[in-house]
Amino acid sequence: MKTTTTVAPQVATAGAFRATRRRRTSRSLVVTCSLAVAVCALFVLTMMVGSFQLSAGEVIASVLQLREDPSVDFVVRGLRLPTAASALAVGLALGAAGTIFQQLLRNPLASPDFVGINSGAGLAAITGIVLLQVSGVAVSALALAGAVAAALLMYVLAWRDGVAGYRFILIGIGATLFFDGLIGYMLTRAQLSDARQAMHWLTGSVGQADASELRLLLGALLLLLPTAVLLQRQLRALELGDDTARALGIRTELSRAGLLATAVVLTALAVAVAGPIVFVALVAGPIANRLLGPATGGIIPAALVGAALLLTADLIAVHLLPTALPTGVVTGAVGAPYLLWLLATTNRQGAGG
Amino acid sequence: MTRLHAEGLTLGYDDQAIVTNLDVQVLDGKITMIVGANACGKSTLLRGLARLLKPRHGAVYLDGKALTEMSTHEVAKVLGLLPQTPLAPDGITVADLVARGRYPHQGWFRRWTERDDDAVTRALDATGTADLVNRPLRQLSGGQRQRVWVAMALAQDTDLLLLDEPTTYLDINHQVELLRLLRKLNAESGKTIVVVLHDLNLACRFSDHVIAMAEGAIVAEGAPTEVVTAELVEKVFGLACVVVPDPVAGTPMVVPT
Amino acid sequence: MSSSNNLARRASALGPGLAVLCVLLALVAFLSVTLGSRSIGLPEVLRALGNLDTDGSINSTVTLELRVPRTLLGILVGAALGVAGAILQGVTRNPLADAGIMGINSGAAVFVVFAVTVLGVRGAGVYVWFAFAGAIAALVLVYAIASLGREGATPIKLALAGVAVTAGLASVTTGIVMTNVETLNELRFWQVGSLAGRYAPVLTGVAPFLIVGLIASLGFGRALNGLALGEDMARGLGQQVTRTRAAAFGVVAVLAGAATAACGPIVFVGLVVPHVARFICGPDYRWILPYSMFLSPIVLLLADVLGRVVVVPDELQVGVVLGVLGAPAFVGIVRYGRLSEV
Repeated sequence: MKTTTTVAPQVATAGAFRATRRRRTSRSLVVTCSLAVAVCALFVLTMMVGSFQLSAGEVIASVLQLREDPSVDFVVRGLRLPTAASALAVGLALGAAGTIFQQLLRNPLASPDFVGINSGAGLAAITGIVLLQVSGVAVSALALAGAVAAALLMYVLAWRDGVAGYRFILIGIGATLFFDGLIGYMLTRAQLSDARQAMHWLTGSVGQADASELRLLLGALLLLLPTAVLLQRQLRALELGDDTARALGIRTELSRAGLLATAVVLTALAVAVAGPIVFVALVAGPIANRLLGPATGGIIPAALVGAALLLTADLIAVHLLPTALPTGVVTGAVGAPYLLWLLATTNRQGAGG
Repeated sequence: MTRLHAEGLTLGYDDQAIVTNLDVQVLDGKITMIVGANACGKSTLLRGLARLLKPRHGAVYLDGKALTEMSTHEVAKVLGLLPQTPLAPDGITVADLVARGRYPHQGWFRRWTERDDDAVTRALDATGTADLVNRPLRQLSGGQRQRVWVAMALAQDTDLLLLDEPTTYLDINHQVELLRLLRKLNAESGKTIVVVLHDLNLACRFSDHVIAMAEGAIVAEGAPTEVVTAELVEKVFGLACVVVPDPVAGTPMVVPT
Repeated sequence: MSSSNNLARRASALGPGLAVLCVLLALVAFLSVTLGSRSIGLPEVLRALGNLDTDGSINSTVTLELRVPRTLLGILVGAALGVAGAILQGVTRNPLADAGIMGINSGAAVFVVFAVTVLGVRGAGVYVWFAFAGAIAALVLVYAIASLGREGATPIKLALAGVAVTAGLASVTTGIVMTNVETLNELRFWQVGSLAGRYAPVLTGVAPFLIVGLIASLGFGRALNGLALGEDMARGLGQQVTRTRAAAFGVVAVLAGAATAACGPIVFVGLVVPHVARFICGPDYRWILPYSMFLSPIVLLLADVLGRVVVVPDELQVGVVLGVLGAPAFVGIVRYGRLSEV
């Protein structure tokens, strides 16, 4: 009797578990592919609209250099491609970095926007604009350095026999308040025109990208996104807490440092290219989870969601509003209600934060 | 020498040593339960055995090699652990959680295989959680949730399994159910199991070997029928009692006087 | 036994401790009146204070019309921020609860911007009222959003809602500011939280609110002690948790709203000082509240004086000084972990 009862459910279990896995795999495949298609479509769309309307065919032909048409090439490759590519790259980077932060620190609020990295970049950039009177690439370089320095500082300050997630978040919030205070001071010291330039930078805009920074970000993405995907396995184990992760054979501090470094570099480069654009990193992960099913935490889908969000925000900021505004204004105005909706609809437990 | 043992082990947090100079042999293929009053160092010892705590002095040996000299990946294939309060991401499903126990058997590029499927299936079956696979962990009862965590540790497919107070927050029925499950796993696959347990009566009933600790030292160890006496309970827990045979199993049962 | 003795000893020391703080506050206030980029001798200050009427000299005018109102405002605003922080941390049982984190500054900022651009309002004395309204609106909005759902306003939902509202409102603010340079100019000075330049009219405007709020806040000690044991326990002890919370939030909204309106966003005081008070008094809110009330203005005035003295003849805004000084204190609290004991 015993043998029959153990065999029968085993077959059923195996079936149920395999079916679950298969369903999930195919769902994530379908979602990821649709997202990729949507991102491509948006990418082309942002290059079609504007004062000089183009067809999808013309844009694609020009980008892929299939046809020679100087006027179209000028508009597409010269004017619109840099902005579109920067929206795409920044969105990918922010989406991936955001979801890594949230999972690693086990807190849905812990996106790089709110734990000091953006503020560190902002302070460095504003100091450059206001005190050193620099602009262009120098501002980006300063922002990059500021973001990395802020992350290192927070990591060191949070280190005490390892870096506990909650301590990193708290230090990050403290750092944000600190940097924001200094940014405010810098703004009062500035000439009004500098202050305006600084505010514009602080809001974040994909249109301000410089070709060399953009190339750097694209190169980094080619390197770091695969790294992030490779580290995803470690991330999934770390999500279960340090004890369980260690029991599963993870070198927790090393994995955490690697994941943090990946996310920080992605964020820093994104901030250097487009300024601190809020909310994309915060909501990309949760939206991807909504599409894929709870706690799936895919880095690639989150990155794609980030890109889709930013491309859409750029379309709205540049073409739909009466006066062109920085992209960050739109992501903030659209992201906030979304987060509120998320809060209202998910019955969140007190857990996780 | 057993597969897992410690020599001259001293463990502690910050500046404070909790467990000093212990020699422990974990009997192969048996269920060992560590008992003792609150804050006697029993969880610390378990964490040391599972290499969650680095020894101050001495060492823990697994198959003759010091744990600190082995790669964490290697250890994780042989030695599993269920912490006292494991954490789960919000909304995670049972299938996803149990599957994460397969981590040590996958490599950088070798992803999910048939063998992983089989191991997860066995773990789900053994714990009776197969019909829960699509449910979010959050919606389960305390007893179900604990069985799912055990399933995750089982999916890791290790010869040795350490559990830190797995019956906390469970009612008596689910406590017994979980301990029966551990007995079954031990009987069917010869797994070596170490459990830190609060309840002395349950420990006597379900273990082959008890280790009684007080103030960071081992006071007594051996088969429950031989070791657990009124004097020992007085010494370890400070409780005056008589020890009578359990009416069902005949194992020692502590009755306070 | 010995611990209850300790507690008794501690409690008996707390009363005199408060008196010591009073004296300290008086000293700091005196410093604040005398020190500044224009150094005024002690006799002159005393003479000006004694006459309570300007004799026409620049020094007595500075003392009576600038320094004294500025100091009084600093005391009131400091006390309000400290007490509001302590109450918020108690009510939400969240060691990092802070009016700033809950979106109060962004609410105030958006209303100020609105007043300047749309209504064409100018001058600190007038847009205080808009900032006040905006701060309260933001707090109420955040609290209402966080209360959605079955389990009510949990700490994490409060924080999330605060962040969301802040970001949303900040976008609106930036959107307006980017298209209107003059508004940017008004806003950026309001935003660093300076005590400079807005004394008498602001003081008379917000003082009644601050004083009433401060007096009302002292009644919350017992209720907060109950809430500290958890909502269920507080209910078990016969408290009306929902009503207590709503009332506490009302007081916080008035205190923090008026303070923010008067001086712009001043960070860290509301966050750090209650922790210091808790460190001194232990977990009893009946003591934490008055200690926060006296400690905060001491800290605020010291920061203000420091900002005036460090870069003579310029001055550093008090928000900047507090940011620089508060960050290490905050890091210390986080690292040496007394945070869990709220």
